[in-house]
Amino acid sequence: MKTWRNRNKSVFVALILALTFSLLAACSGADTEQPANTGSNTGSANSDSGENNGGSGNSDEGLTGEFEIQYFVGGYGDTWWKHVISEFQKANPKLKITQTAGSQINEQMRPRWIQGTPPDFVYIDGAGSNEAQMVADAQLMDLTDFLKGATNADGKKLLDIAIGQPTDYGGKLYTMPLVFGSWGTFYDKAWFAENGWETPTDFESFMAVSEKIKASGVSPYIHTGVYPYYINGGLVNSAIVAENGGDASIISRMAALEEGVFKSEPVMKALGKIVQMRDAGLIDPGSIALNHTDSQMAFLQHKAAFIPNGLWLENEMSKDIPEGFEFDFVPSVMQDKGEKYVAIPYTASVAIAEKAKNPEAAKAFLQFIFTEKFAVDWAEMTGAIMNVKADLESSSAGPVVKSAMSYFNSDQLVVAPALIVNADVEQALQDGIIALLDSRITPEEWGDRLEEAAAKAR
Amino acid sequence: MTAKPSSYRFRRALFILGFTLPTFLLFSLITAYPMLRGLYISFFEWSGYSGSMSFIGLDNYKRLLKDNIIGTAIYNDYFLVFWKVVLILAIATFLAVALTRMNLKRTGLFRVVLFFPNLISVVVIGVLWRYIYNPSDIGFLNAFLSLFAGDPVKTVWLGQENTAMWSILAPAVWAGIGFYMILLMAAIMNIPESFYEAAGIDGASRWHQFKHITIPLIWEQMKVSIIHIVITTLNGSFIIIFLMTEGGPDNSTQVMGSYLYQIGFQQYHMGYASAIGALILILTLVTSLILNRLLKRETIQM
Repeated sequence: MKTWRNRNKSVFVALILALTFSLLAACSGADTEQPANTGSNTGSANSDSGENNGGSGNSDEGLTGEFEIQYFVGGYGDTWWKHVISEFQKANPKLKITQTAGSQINEQMRPRWIQGTPPDFVYIDGAGSNEAQMVADAQLMDLTDFLKGATNADGKKLLDIAIGQPTDYGGKLYTMPLVFGSWGTFYDKAWFAENGWETPTDFESFMAVSEKIKASGVSPYIHTGVYPYYINGGLVNSAIVAENGGDASIISRMAALEEGVFKSEPVMKALGKIVQMRDAGLIDPGSIALNHTDSQMAFLQHKAAFIPNGLWLENEMSKDIPEGFEFDFVPSVMQDKGEKYVAIPYTASVAIAEKAKNPEAAKAFLQFIFTEKFAVDWAEMTGAIMNVKADLESSSAGPVVKSAMSYFNSDQLVVAPALIVNADVEQALQDGIIALLDSRITPEEWGDRLEEAAAKAR
Repeated sequence: MTAKPSSYRFRRALFILGFTLPTFLLFSLITAYPMLRGLYISFFEWSGYSGSMSFIGLDNYKRLLKDNIIGTAIYNDYFLVFWKVVLILAIATFLAVALTRMNLKRTGLFRVVLFFPNLISVVVIGVLWRYIYNPSDIGFLNAFLSLFAGDPVKTVWLGQENTAMWSILAPAVWAGIGFYMILLMAAIMNIPESFYEAAGIDGASRWHQFKHITIPLIWEQMKVSIIHIVITTLNGSFIIIFLMTEGGPDNSTQVMGSYLYQIGFQQYHMGYASAIGALILILTLVTSLILNRLLKRETIQM
């Protein structure tokens, strides 16, 4: 009996140990999620940490003091960031740079933003980040005057070499777009050639080729209904600009929530075209329940001919692209014959915290990274486009990126500002388009909804 | 026996404190504080990202009353609660009885198979069922139905108002059955075999045995199951909704939990989200109290 009891006891002890270890394991698991403070500090910090004068050092010694950069690590990786930061460190050996980065960085750093001890410089991207909200919360520094005069190391003005301009928040600028990409309509060039389908150049040819595709038993157009911002970016917004005679200022008026803009004629006409597409049965009815993986897989498997998406698509699906598939993209398909293409960009911006401790270093870093050289590095390291007009033809960037760059450099294209709106209005835009595509509401009701949401947010 | 030495009392108090104090501290820290803090935030306008909060009194609660989506969300929550209780309990009871009272072979295997969904992460369940419902011919359900229909079936299960909530209900029930089945099996196996033997000698049919012996003796466990399903559904449906539809299309499959997430973390109204949280808390409390009252039966001792 005694041995049995002892064994029981040891089982008990083992259980306790197992529990303790699983707890410890859970804790250490959480530890790995902590921000990676991989400061590449080159030794000189100790010597001058006492004489931190805010970092306005002269050109010989570079900047001094401490400088913290927060950046989100997602699809673009962190290679480019590590690269530019180490270059910046070389130029400013006395600066103590701290990198705070990771895929969960927005959530992890949130307490510090709330408490008023944010990092100096921030790259706004990824889940849990929203540029417009940070501006509304007065978290970002007003960069209006700085950006107007800022030049890079080559002596070029930042705003001149940028493809997409910073978002205008009531006459003020708080952010500088770093990543520049375009929404558009994607298709398989090889498959189109094989079937004798023409690449659409305007709404008329788009409708014609779509009917042809439909007649052959393929769904002409599929989209990501669970995340309606795909079709908003790839179809609706470019239609609005096109209906406004190619004048992209309507996007800024929408972003500024101007009264009546959501019921204005160009918007209603654009929605009319969407309804025309819907009623012709060109939009795959299954789209409404698809997430991005579902819709993109259906597109790759030739279940549908066109898909609205962003320039990241080829990279994202690179593991699943079937043999012989040839990605190509048209920036917009909603313009009338003879009108210019419209590029609706998506951007991810960098900014400086309103409560930055070392704003001089942050501004210097901003000027430092906006060069053509780093832009080519970005394209090669991430497969995406940095917001600098650079010559990518000789670089190792992918074909879609190069084709996009040639559209951006063409005079047959209008580059609209990115539509960055209040989060409530964004939600209404997404709900609204799905309701419209599902015939639950009319374009007028769409307008009523949006005007109501905008009025509340104003 | 006169008064015990004070050192005994002291030791006794210390003993009790030793158990209650850490528990109380932990409870305060991880249950009471967040709850009260949430209630506190619900009286403010706060983005969740800003350093400043402004007090707006009951405005967030007034907004609840005017918000149409809240109505949809409450309706969807109770839709899931009602059908989950009915279907899970009916199926779990049937299976529990079948596996304990019907002399089936290989009950061990069935137990494992039926319990299996409980071991799979909800995320996997979501992905799995999204494939089943896929509207194109990758979708299992449509492909299966196409075998019987002449034309290929192209129902958009998760995209139509009349099928979306039912389609979400199915995996929720499927994933829930195993646990309650095990719970009820344990209860049934506690009933002495002699009860059934005596009833059998008296000529009671299997149905009568089930109705007059099994049900009364496992009632306590069934009651616990019902309340548990109600609470976990009201608090936890968020996950399955988010995996299947994200509340869409056009907010028609929103439940309170998913709407709370959308308002708080995607639309940046943490104050209003906290008010929704308070609503969930109140509705859960009221529902379980009412159910407790309704389900009260005389406890039958063996």
